[in-house]
Amino acid sequence: MTDIQMEMSGGCQCGAVRYHATSFRDDAHICHCRMCQKAVGNYFEALVGVPLAALSWTRGTPAVFRSSEHIERGFCDQCGTPLFYHDTSRASFSLTIGALDHPEKFKPATQDGIEGRMPWFATLTDVPDAGETEAGDPAWAAAIKASNHQHPDHDTETWTVKE
Amino acid sequence: MAQTETLTGGCQCGAVRFATKLVGRPSICHCRMCQKAFGSFFGPLVTSHDGHWTRGTPKWFQSSNLARRAFCGDCGTPLAYETKYGLELAIGAFDEPAKVAPVIQVNLHDKVPFFETLTSLPTPDHPEAEWLDFMAGIHSNQHPDHETDEWSASDEDRS
Repeated sequence: MTDIQMEMSGGCQCGAVRYHATSFRDDAHICHCRMCQKAVGNYFEALVGVPLAALSWTRGTPAVFRSSEHIERGFCDQCGTPLFYHDTSRASFSLTIGALDHPEKFKPATQDGIEGRMPWFATLTDVPDAGETEAGDPAWAAAIKASNHQHPDHDTETWTVKE
Repeated sequence: MAQTETLTGGCQCGAVRFATKLVGRPSICHCRMCQKAFGSFFGPLVTSHDGHWTRGTPKWFQSSNLARRAFCGDCGTPLAYETKYGLELAIGAFDEPAKVAPVIQVNLHDKVPFFETLTSLPTPDHPEAEWLDFMAGIHSNQHPDHETDEWSASDEDRS
């Protein structure tokens, strides 16, 4: 499998932890297994592999929970954003796609952990739309935008975590 | 959904547990802030009118001045989103998330362009022997999907 040569940064919601990668595995996927679900509080986890040599932590250090004997799961202990899945037995390392600055660049090609898949998963994308926050409550949307404490989707020279 | 049973859930390591009976409309939110908070393509949240913590307490991050987000400080599992309108719980953290199917999706402006393809992705064939060996080696440190009278996640599992 040929790696994808692409530079991209990412990090947690509060910006305390940031990283930069210079290449990625061509293996973007979603995993439905119950441990991935739980680690990210979601119906599935979205991951893309990165060669460890291609990854550098550029701000802060992630916290780690060892979810099983061989697996470490990284997260920001200041805001909770799930950041990575690390199979220490095979030196296999994957980043959560949603924490990357441009998740839209990582279209999953496969799905895994089918034993944990939601029984109604096939209809997930058919769920009706409720419209935009801006349309339903423009004042609310504007207030969130004006006080957004989330790190922007690009690297920053300096950054103070807002509380 | 029928509000006849108490739904329980919590984080991966089991340090934080919650229970709720009165839940509202489950949703998936595509906004960039939910994407980031969950490290995923969207955030799955259900309004909880009587949600409460039954073991431990979460840490909170004030993601804007109107909203804050709860997570387990020990293992990181995203657990909740709270505003003046109330508390919403992270659906994947429920013991039985299949019972909390989304009925609405919101904030489509940030939806990832390939969202519609997610439900039809192929399943890869794993190298059978290697995969079975890997699965056999797993000793989970995850809290089970039911309430426990006592639970301790060993400190060596955290760093």
